[in-house]
Amino acid sequence: MAIQTQEHTSGSAPSNARAGGALMSRMNLVTAIIGGLIVMFAAHYLAAAFFVMPVLEGDAENPSGLGWLIDNRITLTTMFGWVLGFMLGIGAFNGPVRWVLGKDLTDADSLFLAGKDQGVGRYFRFTTDHKVVGIQYLIITMTLLGVGGTVAMMIRTNLMTPHSAFLGPTTYNTFVGMHGIIMIIATIIMVTGPFGNFILPIMIGARDMAFPRLNALSFWLIASVVPVLLSVPFLGGMPTGWTAYNPLASQGPVGMDGFIVTIIVFAVSSAVAGANITTTAVKMRTRGMTWTRTPIFVYGVVASVGLAIPAFPTFMAAQVLSGLDRGVGTSFYTAEDGGSGWLYANLFWLMGHPEVYVILIPAVAALLELTPVFTRKPLFSFKAAVIAIAGIVGLSVLVWAHHMYISGWAPKLGGPFMLTTEMISIPTGLLFLVFIGTMWRGRIWTRLPMMAVYAMLWNFVIGGVTGVYLSDIPVDEAMHGSMFVTAHFHYTLMGVALTGTMGALVFWFSKMTGRMFNERIGFWGFWIVQIGFNVTFLGMFMVGFAGQPRRVFNYSEMFANGNFVSTMGAYTIFIGMLIFLYTIISSWRGGEIASANPWNAKTLEWQVPTPVPLENFDVLPIITSDPYGYGRPTSEPKEGASR
Amino acid sequence: MADTALHETQESPAAGKRWWQRPEVRAIFIIWLILTIIGEALAWVPAWLMGTSASEQMDEIKQTMTAFTAFAAPVATLVWAAMIYSLAKWRYKGDTPPPDDAPGFTTNTPSIMLWVIASGVLTMIVFIWGLLKIAAIPAAGALALTSTNAGPPIEIQVTGNQWVWNFTYPELGNIQSDVLYLPVDRTAVFNVTSVDVIHSFWIVEMGVKVDANPGEIAKTQVLSHSLGTYDVRCAELCGLFHGAMETQAKVVTQAEFDAWAADEGAFVPVGPVAAEGGE
Repeated sequence: MAIQTQEHTSGSAPSNARAGGALMSRMNLVTAIIGGLIVMFAAHYLAAAFFVMPVLEGDAENPSGLGWLIDNRITLTTMFGWVLGFMLGIGAFNGPVRWVLGKDLTDADSLFLAGKDQGVGRYFRFTTDHKVVGIQYLIITMTLLGVGGTVAMMIRTNLMTPHSAFLGPTTYNTFVGMHGIIMIIATIIMVTGPFGNFILPIMIGARDMAFPRLNALSFWLIASVVPVLLSVPFLGGMPTGWTAYNPLASQGPVGMDGFIVTIIVFAVSSAVAGANITTTAVKMRTRGMTWTRTPIFVYGVVASVGLAIPAFPTFMAAQVLSGLDRGVGTSFYTAEDGGSGWLYANLFWLMGHPEVYVILIPAVAALLELTPVFTRKPLFSFKAAVIAIAGIVGLSVLVWAHHMYISGWAPKLGGPFMLTTEMISIPTGLLFLVFIGTMWRGRIWTRLPMMAVYAMLWNFVIGGVTGVYLSDIPVDEAMHGSMFVTAHFHYTLMGVALTGTMGALVFWFSKMTGRMFNERIGFWGFWIVQIGFNVTFLGMFMVGFAGQPRRVFNYSEMFANGNFVSTMGAYTIFIGMLIFLYTIISSWRGGEIASANPWNAKTLEWQVPTPVPLENFDVLPIITSDPYGYGRPTSEPKEGASR
Repeated sequence: MADTALHETQESPAAGKRWWQRPEVRAIFIIWLILTIIGEALAWVPAWLMGTSASEQMDEIKQTMTAFTAFAAPVATLVWAAMIYSLAKWRYKGDTPPPDDAPGFTTNTPSIMLWVIASGVLTMIVFIWGLLKIAAIPAAGALALTSTNAGPPIEIQVTGNQWVWNFTYPELGNIQSDVLYLPVDRTAVFNVTSVDVIHSFWIVEMGVKVDANPGEIAKTQVLSHSLGTYDVRCAELCGLFHGAMETQAKVVTQAEFDAWAADEGAFVPVGPVAAEGGE
């Protein structure tokens, strides 16, 4: 429950430690890890006792002491045990349990959960304050991007020469899968997590999210499952790439189970986050904030998490069936027993195509939000932008089989799916017009966030055009499964979404950390990343045209030059990212103290003090106009009217 | 210095001038025109990077690639031209927010209508182009035996097997090979399947690609029109040695093909062709 008024703050700090609060106040990341380990081992021994035979055989055959790892049932049970214990230990179930016991949380308990009067410790607890959750998401996103990026460097190093033995095929395939799934998870949460949690409630004039405890739950579910995901390479790896296609996945070692558990838990997390953020945006907007006065970023975030609500359950279902095939011998995906790999491919891509827009839309919306600030102009055709986002969302659930043109499944559907896919270029093109229209005759203040808009537009043109190529069956016939595809989706997911996120981070950095982002150093990091990025993936287009398949650990000599260029570009990205990371850390620790509204922006988050107080607003604002009132003779400070 | 330019472009284009007479429109048009000419002049590059073509359908694919690049060039360059001009002319340099706002217009219906109609028309062109080419290119399963300028089609069973390709010629006494032999100017019909996981059968220079699914047979076909040796690769991640799952497609004359088949059928590995690449 959101805390409604300040009057409830009467409970003093010691009162947090009484009865019910006592247990709560002792739960943090350490108890979560202890709880996770206890339940994990308990689950492991119970499962090993229950499925005793394979364990004994395994021990006999496997002197390494990891004999228990050969049984998928035991591995799956152990991993779910870890997640359950971790969530118990972090205190995720305190609220429901106390409600069942008839001792629902008091106001003091709620304030404690919100992190009132706690120091850094609140970032390591089941804290419900949306600003804490936003920072937690930011840290975990950056961690995942760092791991995924480092893995990408290993992949590119292996691909620097045609017959490299740097990684070897098993590790190479595992790293391809790890890079894929880590980056997919990181990019899905990278805007809606940090900014959707920290910024969005303030932007709409709310004191917290609609369901603060669900908010904390969505974050800690992801945190609980990151160790499971990172354990995959140590459990034999995964041979499949992040698509985890069956029947190949059924051949995989127990590392594959780590992938399955990760996706199932992540799907729960994204469902929880989606319910929370959509409810917040619909119900918690302050008085006077009609839909036409709601900032475009809110639309982008709602579109993203709203699209995830139908998308991820199919991914979860796909992995549940995959786990059953592996663990208990069902045959959903095995052809000889009546199953079909096409079933998996359909379930996967039913998620897979909406998912790229889950990643793309909020990052583009963040840039749409900041473009008016840096051009000192209203957003060009707000309604066209909303219609474009809605159009992309609507079409994106109807295009999944364009990933299956050459799979042999339902060839007669090629034409219809080609039509729906190519139609997406119409609302996407409209977004370009919104950007250009907003820049048109503007006073373009070329700070780093605005530079991200330029870099994104450049990359989005290339990513979009190559997407139209691929959507057309004749071209897909040649390009499917080649490096061309890899280059295309990196242009969209990295060139557009990650570039947009970097711009959004610089834009909102001062509000989130209280300090200004050092653009003098960050400038170099950002542009080195952009140059390296274009070198990497233009090189990859070249080898893709020439016919190099994706996800290969070795390749023919004819692709040597293009791959060498790509690898050099990738190293450049890495250097740029390190500079950018250094800028983030150094600015956060010792940057210039930020004023409340350094960009002179008009949305609500810039009207509250920096750092933002616990419940954001002393008095909830009343909105009388849209937040883009630049250059209008009648425009007034819209927070003027308040209760 | 940027300020004077800014004020000229911001305040002068107002009264009296039609939209195409405004300086920013003319400048962006000129930049766009130059970039488009460059783009159109380079539209052949993707198809050139795709290398040799050994079949009619690869010709069609390369033609599609060039056509799409030609369609895409003006669209891409329009965005880039606007970006270049806005950076050159509308830029504000300073450490503090600009003191005054830019013109506060919020929409422009004609430009939105024009933009949507233009992108809709382009989308339809690309879509119809694709449909026409599908009719010319037999995609997976959509078998259309149209090419008839040569001998009868030859049937080949293609089997993916971690991590090799196997080619069986049922009309020739089920002879088997791990190198694909094709007689030139004859339609080859492929029945593609797999014995383990999903592979994807890809003859790079012929534009042939179809998944090899366990338990399913996908049909596709190609008419090879050029003698030579081409690349067969796997285009779907199929496990450990996916990257090494390559072989060759040798397009030979009918006489050479017959000689090879006779040798294979008799299981006598002699003769020039068999010694070169047969089993």
